[in-house]
Amino acid sequence: MRLNLMTRRRGFRGLSPQDEDSSLIDDERKEKRKIGFGFWVAIGWMVLVIMAALLAPILPIPDPDQTGAGGRLDAPNWDNWFGTDTNGRDMFSRTIWGSRVSLTVGFFAIVFGFAVGGPLGIVAGFFKGATDKFLSIIIFILFAFPGLVLALLIISLLGQTLAVVCLTVGVIGVAPIARLARAITISTAEREFVAASRILGSTNRRIMIREILPNVTIPMGALAFLGMALAIVGEGGLAFLGLSVEEGFSWGKMIVLGSASRTLQKAPWVSMFPIGVMFLTVMSLNYAGDRLRDFFDVREMGIGGG
Amino acid sequence: MTGPLVSIEDLHVSFLTEQGSVRAVDGVSFDLEPGKSIGIVGESGSGKSVTAKTLMNLLPSYAQVKGSMKFDGRDLRELARKKEKHFWGVEMTMIFQDPMTSLNPVKRVGEQIAESLRVHMNRSRREAMTEAGDLLEQVGIPEPGKRLRQYPHELSGGLRQRVVIAIALSCGPRLLIADEPTTALDVTVQKHILDLLDGLRKERGMSMILITHDLGVVKGRTDEIMVMYGGRTMEEASTSALFECDGLHPYTEALNATIPRIDTPSHTRLVPIPGKPPEVIGRIEGCPFAPRCRYSTSECLTEMPPLVEQEQGHFCACHNPVGTPEGIKAREANQNTGHTPAGLDMKEFEAFAVHTETGEI
Amino acid sequence: MGFILKRIAQMVAVIIAATFLAFTAMNSLGDPLFNVVGFHASVDCEAVLAGEIEDVSGQGGTDVGDCEVVEAAREKYHLNDPLPVRYVRWAGDVIQGDLGISFKNSMPVTTIIGNRIPKSIFLMVVAEIFALIIAVPAAIRAAYKANRVFDKSATVSSFGFISLPNFALGVILFYLFVVKWQIFPSRYEDDDLFSRLRSTVLPGMTLALPLAATYFRLLRTDLITTLQEDFVLMAKAKGLSDSWIMFRHVLRPSLFSLVTVFGLSTGGLIGGALVVEQIFVIPGLGRTFVEAVIRDDFPLVLGLVTIISSSFIAINFIVDIFYSVIDPRVSRET
Repeated sequence: MRLNLMTRRRGFRGLSPQDEDSSLIDDERKEKRKIGFGFWVAIGWMVLVIMAALLAPILPIPDPDQTGAGGRLDAPNWDNWFGTDTNGRDMFSRTIWGSRVSLTVGFFAIVFGFAVGGPLGIVAGFFKGATDKFLSIIIFILFAFPGLVLALLIISLLGQTLAVVCLTVGVIGVAPIARLARAITISTAEREFVAASRILGSTNRRIMIREILPNVTIPMGALAFLGMALAIVGEGGLAFLGLSVEEGFSWGKMIVLGSASRTLQKAPWVSMFPIGVMFLTVMSLNYAGDRLRDFFDVREMGIGGG
Repeated sequence: MTGPLVSIEDLHVSFLTEQGSVRAVDGVSFDLEPGKSIGIVGESGSGKSVTAKTLMNLLPSYAQVKGSMKFDGRDLRELARKKEKHFWGVEMTMIFQDPMTSLNPVKRVGEQIAESLRVHMNRSRREAMTEAGDLLEQVGIPEPGKRLRQYPHELSGGLRQRVVIAIALSCGPRLLIADEPTTALDVTVQKHILDLLDGLRKERGMSMILITHDLGVVKGRTDEIMVMYGGRTMEEASTSALFECDGLHPYTEALNATIPRIDTPSHTRLVPIPGKPPEVIGRIEGCPFAPRCRYSTSECLTEMPPLVEQEQGHFCACHNPVGTPEGIKAREANQNTGHTPAGLDMKEFEAFAVHTETGEI
Repeated sequence: MGFILKRIAQMVAVIIAATFLAFTAMNSLGDPLFNVVGFHASVDCEAVLAGEIEDVSGQGGTDVGDCEVVEAAREKYHLNDPLPVRYVRWAGDVIQGDLGISFKNSMPVTTIIGNRIPKSIFLMVVAEIFALIIAVPAAIRAAYKANRVFDKSATVSSFGFISLPNFALGVILFYLFVVKWQIFPSRYEDDDLFSRLRSTVLPGMTLALPLAATYFRLLRTDLITTLQEDFVLMAKAKGLSDSWIMFRHVLRPSLFSLVTVFGLSTGGLIGGALVVEQIFVIPGLGRTFVEAVIRDDFPLVLGLVTIISSSFIAINFIVDIFYSVIDPRVSRET
C-alpha cells in the first residue's frame, strides 16, 4: 500500500513496499477478520422481531383489529405502548401483527429469488457457451425492467394476494441473484478442486452440487440478508401504493394509513412507529449483510437497479 | 554559488502508528555539491526512499521529522511549512520506480509533461506543448509529435520512463532524485536509461541522487556512494574509493559479494546475506547490522558505532571494519567460537564468503 | 463509430425483447380486446353468441348487441391471429406513435402519458441534480480527510439513508416540513417556475437523499483508492497543489463506478418516483401508473411499461457508450 499523502489513516498501512519491509500487521485487515459486535446486535434485533412475529397469537397483546383498545389516536401510554390509531386500535399490537406479512414477504421473496436465480446462475456459469448466452440474455432482459415497474406489471395481471406479492418481489430479485451466482460459479469452476473432481469422473451434476454449490452459498448468504432488506422495503413500497395484499396489513400499509395530513398532524406516531421498526429491521439486515460480505471478502456483490 | 547544493544534517524521520513509533531514518547526514551525483544504496527498509521523500516533502501527516535539511542555503522544512508553491517540481524533482503507475493512465503524455510548465513556468497551453515535444526529443524519444498525443499504456516501459524523466526535467531543476528508476525495467533498457540520466545530468550541470538496492547500478556512475542500513549511514565514500577496497563496512562487503556477475556460471544460486532485516519499532541497541555481521563483537551489540573518517573522505560506521586489525581480529574470534556474538552460525556465511576477498568464512 | 452502431443495434434488440415480453404477458393474462374496443367483456361472449346464455342483463354491461360488436372487432382487428403477428402489428402502431386507447376515458394513451411525463421527468432530473450536488463535494471532502470527523459522520449517515425506505423518508419529510413546520405547500403547484420548484423540493429531496448516500459511498471509496495510486505521488512530486491534483487527476478516474451506478439508478428513481408522487400528490406518471394498475386499465399499463422500460434501457446503453468514450483504456470491442 502506498504512502497516503493527503489522508491520514487511523490504522497504519505500513510503508510503501518498495522501500520498507513492513513487519507490522495491517490494521484494517485485522478489523475485517472479526465480524464485530454490531453484527450480533443486528442479529439480535432480527431474532427479536422474528420471534415476536411468530409468537404474536400467543403474546399478551390486544387483538390488532379490535377497535377501542384505547381511545382514538391516543398518544403512547402505559396501556398502549405505541399509542392507538384512528380507530382506536393498539399500535403496538398492530406493528407486531403487521410484521408477519412484511417478514413473510421478505423471507419467501428471497427464497423464491434464490431458488430460481441460484440454479439459473450456476447452470449458466458452469456450462458457459450457448447455454450461458441464452440464460444471460434472459437475465439481462429481466434487468431491463425497473423493479417497481415489473412488480406493477405482474400485480396488475395476477392480482393482489400474498402469494403474488411474494412472487413479484422474488422475481425482481432473480436477476441480481442469478448474476452473482453465475460470476461465482465461473470463478470457482476454474479452480483446481473442480478439475480434480472431474478427473475422478464426477458427472456435471455432481460437480455442480458438491463443489460449486458450497462455494456459492457463502457469498449468497450475505446477499440474502441484503436481499431480504430490499424485499421488505419493496413490499412496503407496494403497500404504500395500495398494491400489496388486499387482506391484512403490513408495515407499509400501516405507514400509508398513518400518513394522511390530518393524522400526521394529530398523531404522528401512527406512521412513525411502523417506520421506526421497519427502519431498524432493514438497517439490521443491511448491516449484517455488509459485515458478512466484508468478513468473507466477496467482491462481486452488488444489487443493481430498483 | 559556493557551498554544497544539498546539506542534510542528523536527519531523523519516524512514523507514528498505533503500534508505536516506526524509525525510518535514524541520524543521516550528507552533503551534495552542485553538479555531482551520489548513489544511496540499501535494501528494503534501509530508509533510503524515506530520505528522498523527506527532501521532496512527500511524507504523510503522521511522519515526524527532526534535523536539518538545506537546499542552496534554504531551509527545506521552512519551505514545507510555508507550503512553498514553486519549489518542488522546479528546483528539485523526483522520479520513481514504476513508470506505468507514475503516469496518470487517463491523461495524454503530452498533457502530463506540459502540466508542470503551465503551473510553474507560466507557459500557455501551446507553448507548453511545444516545449514538451522538445523535451521528448531530449530524452531520446523518436516521433515526439506523435507521442505527445498518446496515452501511457500505449508506450513501452522504457519509453514511459523517458517520459517520466522528461516531466522531471521540464522546469530545469538543479537536483534530480531518482528512486530505483530502472528496477521495473528490462535489463537491456536499464543501461540506456541510466546512460540517459548521466548524459542529461552532465549537459545541464544537474546534481543527482540515485537510489538503488543494487551496487552494480552505481558502480562507475555516481561520484559518491552512501550505503544505508536500518535507517543509518553505514558507509560513505567516493565511488572509486569504495570499489577499490570492495567496501570497508561489512554490509558493503556483503552487498558487493552478492551482486550477480555476468561471468558466474549459469544456474549458480543467488547468494543472500544471512539473517533477516531489522525491527523498526522502538530503539535498537548497538549497530543495526550486528545480528548479521561476521565481524561483530559483543561491543557491536550494545554500542552504536559512530560514523568515522577512516581515510581521506571515506567514512565508515563500524567498530571492526573489513581489512582493519580490529576487523581481522573479530572475524577470527568468531571463526573460533563457530558463531557470531548475536548467535548466527558462521557456516551461514559460507555461500557468500567465497565472493569476498577473504575467500572463506 | 461501428462500435456505437453495434451498441444501438443491441439496444433496439433488447427493447424489442422486453416489449415483446410485456405484450405477451398482457395479452395472455389480460384481455386482448383491450387494444380495440376499450372494455373487457366480463361475459363469455362466445357463449352468448352461440346462444347458450340468454339473460345477460346485469353482467358487466354487455348484451348480445355488444357481443356482436366484440366479435366483429375480433375479426376486424385480427385478434384471432397468432401472437407474434399481433405483436408486430402493435409494434408498428407504437412506432407510429399509437399506444392504444385508455379504458378510463377513452383518451389515447400517448396523450395521457404526454401530459404527465414532464412532471415526472422534472422531478427525477431535480432529484439527480440534488443527489450529485450533495454527494460529490461530500465525497471529495471525506476522501481528502479520510477517517476524520466529517468523513465518519457522513459515512454513518449515508448508511442510515440507504436503510430508510423512500416512502418512509417521504412521510417523515412531509410530516416535518409540511405538517409541523409548514415551510412547504401541501399541494403541488406549478403555475410558474418558482412554485413548481418549490413544490418539487421535498419530493426531490426524498428521492435525492438515498441516492446521494449511495453515490457518496461509491465515490468516496473510489477517490480513496485513486489517492493511493503512484501517479498521485508523482503529481505531488511535481509540486502541484492538493486541489489541482484532486480535481484534475483524481476525480476523473474515480468517477467510473459512479457513472455506472448513475445509469442503473434511473430504475430505482422511477420506482421511487411512483411512491413519492403518491405522498406529495404530484400528478405525474407514477400516480397514473398506479391508478391504471388498480383499475386494470390494460392499454395504459402496457403503454406505460413500454415507455418506461424503453427509456430505462436506452439510458443504460447511453451510459455504456459514454463510459467507453471517457475511459481510453476500455477497448472498443464487445
